[in-house]
Amino acid sequence: MSLTDTSRFGVLRTATFRLTLAFVAAIIGGMVLQFVLLFVQMTHFESERSSGILHREADVLVQETPERLEYQVRERASNELRVVINWVGLFDGHYHHIAGDLKAWPEGLTVDGKVHRLTLSPTDDAPYEMRFLAVKVPGGRILVLAHSLHLLSELHYMIRRGALLSVFPVVMFALLTGVVLSHRALARVKTMHEAIDRIMQGDVHERLPAGRERDELERLAGSVNRMLDRLEHLMDEIRDVGNDIAHDLRTPLSRVRARLERATSSPHDADYLNSVIEQATQDLDQCFSVITALLRIGEIENGRRRAGFAYVNLGDLVADIVDLYEPIAETNGLVLTSLVVAEPASDTLVTFGDRDLLVEVLANLLDNAMKFTPPGGHVTVSATPGPSVINLRVADTGIGIPEAEREAVLGRFYRSDKSRHVPGSGLGLSLVMAILRLHGVELAIADGDGTTAAKGCAFEMTFQVSGSPDPA
Amino acid sequence: MIPDHSPSIVPLEVPSKARILFVEDDDTLAKEVVEELAARGFSVSHVSTGQAGLEAATSEAYDLMVLDRMLPLLDGLSVIEKLRGQNVQSPVLVLSALSAVDDRVTGLKAGGDDYLTKPFAMDELVARIEALLRRPNDTRATTLRVGPLDMDLIDRTVTREGRDIELLPREFRLLEYLMRRPNQVLTRTMLLEDVWNYRFIPQTNLVDVHIGKLRRKVDGTGETPLIHSIRGSGFMLRVSH
Repeated sequence: MSLTDTSRFGVLRTATFRLTLAFVAAIIGGMVLQFVLLFVQMTHFESERSSGILHREADVLVQETPERLEYQVRERASNELRVVINWVGLFDGHYHHIAGDLKAWPEGLTVDGKVHRLTLSPTDDAPYEMRFLAVKVPGGRILVLAHSLHLLSELHYMIRRGALLSVFPVVMFALLTGVVLSHRALARVKTMHEAIDRIMQGDVHERLPAGRERDELERLAGSVNRMLDRLEHLMDEIRDVGNDIAHDLRTPLSRVRARLERATSSPHDADYLNSVIEQATQDLDQCFSVITALLRIGEIENGRRRAGFAYVNLGDLVADIVDLYEPIAETNGLVLTSLVVAEPASDTLVTFGDRDLLVEVLANLLDNAMKFTPPGGHVTVSATPGPSVINLRVADTGIGIPEAEREAVLGRFYRSDKSRHVPGSGLGLSLVMAILRLHGVELAIADGDGTTAAKGCAFEMTFQVSGSPDPA
Repeated sequence: MIPDHSPSIVPLEVPSKARILFVEDDDTLAKEVVEELAARGFSVSHVSTGQAGLEAATSEAYDLMVLDRMLPLLDGLSVIEKLRGQNVQSPVLVLSALSAVDDRVTGLKAGGDDYLTKPFAMDELVARIEALLRRPNDTRATTLRVGPLDMDLIDRTVTREGRDIELLPREFRLLEYLMRRPNQVLTRTMLLEDVWNYRFIPQTNLVDVHIGKLRRKVDGTGETPLIHSIRGSGFMLRVSH
């Protein structure tokens, strides 16, 4: 699992080293290209230069008289001018040698005043290349001037040697740099691997070395760290939820246990025992309601069951639920009103959903609203059509929820209100949100219908209008 | 004003020694339920597998079956489907540990007559068994008469020995439900499910408040109380013979 298994080839198997290899290849390619261009340029330059010399010499010699020319040719063949014009030959109209150190007519040479590159193959020597210029001179004779490629071949040799000598150290240097850089990258990755190993072994507080996030590796480490923060937060939340649930179950269970223990420890009359049993049953029911609510939330959230989905008129739903809750509101000294804005028999309040679940949403929100609204207050449930949406709203004039806490109320999976004095599983809002998520509806909290002193609170939901099913 | 046509006859007693087949694989729970039902005057046979349940139900006539949904070998819903396929029409009460949203729907679709989620209160089970055994037989009657109460389903009026009782529509629905099932324990869940068609467990004493309102209108001062609270279970419209 750890990095040590592959450490033998570690450096060679890093992205940095592979990048280095690519760079080395690019450097070699660049150098080859550079030398080829240099080679071509120098060849061209040297050819131009030798052609220029040949033409200039020929132009001078053509001006001479035949006798003078012959003399000049003989002179050139022997004096130091051979450095410039390496070979000179004077031939008659039938290419027979008259004078000069070029004794035989070079095979393939044409008399056209242009420079030709030809290979001479003397019988007593290795073949060699020269550049020839043949011009007609007065008297029907032909003058041939030759310039050797000696300088060019020397230059070529120098370039080749220079190239070969420089490529090796450059490549070695690049490779070495690559190894060093790869090693450093590997060392950084290794510390990250070690940190990850520690996290996987359960040290959830460990983080990757991210420094000040100056390069891509540190930025990646920073992102991973932020992800770990979020995960740790979620894990804490889940642990808190677990603790809360355990606590909520333990309280009634310990009550049951205490009562039963006391009931068995000493003789009691039947009435006392009956009351103990009744209370124990109630406490167990409380436990069951917590478990049932949790299972339902899990099922609604995971199952994505939409088998019960049908067309539901939210206006009717609101009217029905208000009809059900009105006596309770009256008993609690509250005024419960429904506000349904719709044309009679219109589709503007019809959505696609699970009626039973939506009833549960409204019932939970109503329970909630009535719990937190003091006597004399108002609770209003409204369904109003908007542009292709339906706004469902449960508003009260109670104590309200401070704006800062609204996010938290909705964000928390499980609201364990330690000070709660009202019966219930405490999971109502979580259940509401699970159901709304199943319907693809967001739950928002806003100010209610109260005065500025007690604003109250409003739970707002926006449903999509689905229209009625086609009766046909 | 007493209508001249005869009111519907509502049976007042559970058929004596109703025979119940209980199919449940948790033997401890089964033992408790069997003893409790026996104590309440039912004759109960218990089997633990779906296959055994199917055989028992086809070989003998039972007044009612209580069937666990999750059974080894043959699950509860398949048992119902096979029974209905063999024209066994005794009412079936399905028990389930599943709280699934649409489980109830599939349970009833398969041919079950009622659906109860575990864990359940024994009183709830008994009340539902009794309700299934004494289904209101004539739902087409236009008038109901229970003891001193007369209900006209067409005019939507209720009188108690000549005294008109003004009821809201929801109170009328509730009283109608009670009058169709007199002398029978009706639990809060049954009322919510049947009268309001809601299937959730309210956190407040919703049903009690509705019953309380109705009771104040039905049972006037000095009159014999008709609507009774049954401790721990629910309510009953009780009339003497």
